Amino acid sequence: MFAVANWTVTSKRLLSGVMSAETWLPTELPEYARGFMYMLGSLTASSFAVLVASGIVLAMNGPASWSYNGAVHFVAATHFWAVQAFFFFMMLHLWRVFFTGAWRGGRGLTWLLGAIALLVAIPTAFTGFLINGDLYSQWNAVQAKDGLNALGLGWVNLTNAGQMFGMHVVVLPLTLTVIIGLHITLVRMKSVVPPYPEADTPALARGDDA
Amino acid sequence: MTRQDVATGYRQVPEDFVKHLLGTLGIVMGLVLLASILFSYPEKSPLTIRSYATAHPVAFEQVVLRALDGQGQIANYGPPYNHGTGSVQSSLQSWAGVLHPINAATDFVLKPLGMAASINPAIGPALADFRHASASQQTRWEQAATTGLARATLQKGQVVMPRGQYGPLPVLLNAALGLGKSGLMSGALTRNPAVFTHFNTQNDLLFLQGAPLQTNPGTQTLAGPNWGIIHPAVNGYPAAWWMTIPTWIYQWPAVANSAAPDALALMIGFVFWAMLAFTPWIPLWNRVPRFVGIHRLIWQEYYRTHPGRRARMLREREVPRA
Repeated sequence: MFAVANWTVTSKRLLSGVMSAETWLPTELPEYARGFMYMLGSLTASSFAVLVASGIVLAMNGPASWSYNGAVHFVAATHFWAVQAFFFFMMLHLWRVFFTGAWRGGRGLTWLLGAIALLVAIPTAFTGFLINGDLYSQWNAVQAKDGLNALGLGWVNLTNAGQMFGMHVVVLPLTLTVIIGLHITLVRMKSVVPPYPEADTPALARGDDA
Repeated sequence: MTRQDVATGYRQVPEDFVKHLLGTLGIVMGLVLLASILFSYPEKSPLTIRSYATAHPVAFEQVVLRALDGQGQIANYGPPYNHGTGSVQSSLQSWAGVLHPINAATDFVLKPLGMAASINPAIGPALADFRHASASQQTRWEQAATTGLARATLQKGQVVMPRGQYGPLPVLLNAALGLGKSGLMSGALTRNPAVFTHFNTQNDLLFLQGAPLQTNPGTQTLAGPNWGIIHPAVNGYPAAWWMTIPTWIYQWPAVANSAAPDALALMIGFVFWAMLAFTPWIPLWNRVPRFVGIHRLIWQEYYRTHPGRRARMLREREVPRA
């Protein structure tokens, strides 16, 4: 079966669903998926878009440019507030999806990717704080190094601003972009989780797992 | 309820998704621009070797001496910097090996002084005396200087120790102080003759990582027992508040008093994350939200307009009673 399968045909079938305008530009949504609670994921993704855009401007100008160029300094401020917005909306989104059991109906992988995005976002933000170059950067680099060293992860040298620049500008945001991209793709493919059934439906004991 | 009917069978309502996305993007951009205009962002001037040497000359010489005699934290740290044992928390740390080699005496003191010797000829002979002395002689000088510095005074910009058998150390320590106060020591510490770039700030930062940063007034609110990283260096600003759970774990007495607090805190933090990540597959835990009932508020409108069987039954029972 595996030997005769046409990989191109299989890829084409998968991608035609993933990449269709119908998937990405819906003109209708389930009736229960309305209101502010259903803006939180988009607000998180929008914050990430602002982070990437402001980050590109900062990277183009180079390390420490924000310390002597007023315009770049302002962009650094937008980058700082965008990361605050990113985590703020991500936490609200996390609470919404947790309290609505959003992993139900075969959405376990969507949930897992979201959790991985949260995990990867932490060092992504942290390395950004480290390359800012102020007292907060110095203090957190020397404090956090002991934790990484203790776990045998000392090759990640938090006190090396060059390595942290590469991690923050390339490695971690690219990883995060891929994870967030997969997470959103699954959300679009599977739609958002429907409401829990009423309390006395026979299916009460089922359907809570992924 | 099966997997199929979780995903389908619900009424669809018109939606302008592009407008929705542009709307959320507009909201975020508006908030971010407003906050940037109003508050800029928090920056606290870094601690430099120059500022520390200028403000605390005796303490600076003590930092230099501890690097030289191997008593400093980095000098005796262990992997990934050297083969010391002072800060080894786990066998994982030992297995990782020495990845960023540091010989504190050579890298933090003798090499920078070697560079300074070319512009201050007085340093050269003292440096040669120290290098050519036996290890035991060096240790005797260092021990004497440790006692001497504890009772040192500042005279005309020089640190003066009481009379003692210090060998060339008074010259070397004051030369290091001069180098530190000049602002040139950072460059000497980050110099790599193989490349002209100074991307690697490791030695500059690790030179400051002990007493200089630990006693800095600006870092006191950032210290571990004060919930560290979640506090900003500049009051009134948010910081990495999303690290609240790992920071809280650091406060647990069993973690704080452990011989390996960092390894333990990060591992427990990872367990917390794993419980979140694998929620869908953890029996009972994956049913908690259903019983907490917050979904009834989130889907209030849906439940109101779609009364289920239970609601219908209750109404039917209530009608005759009424």
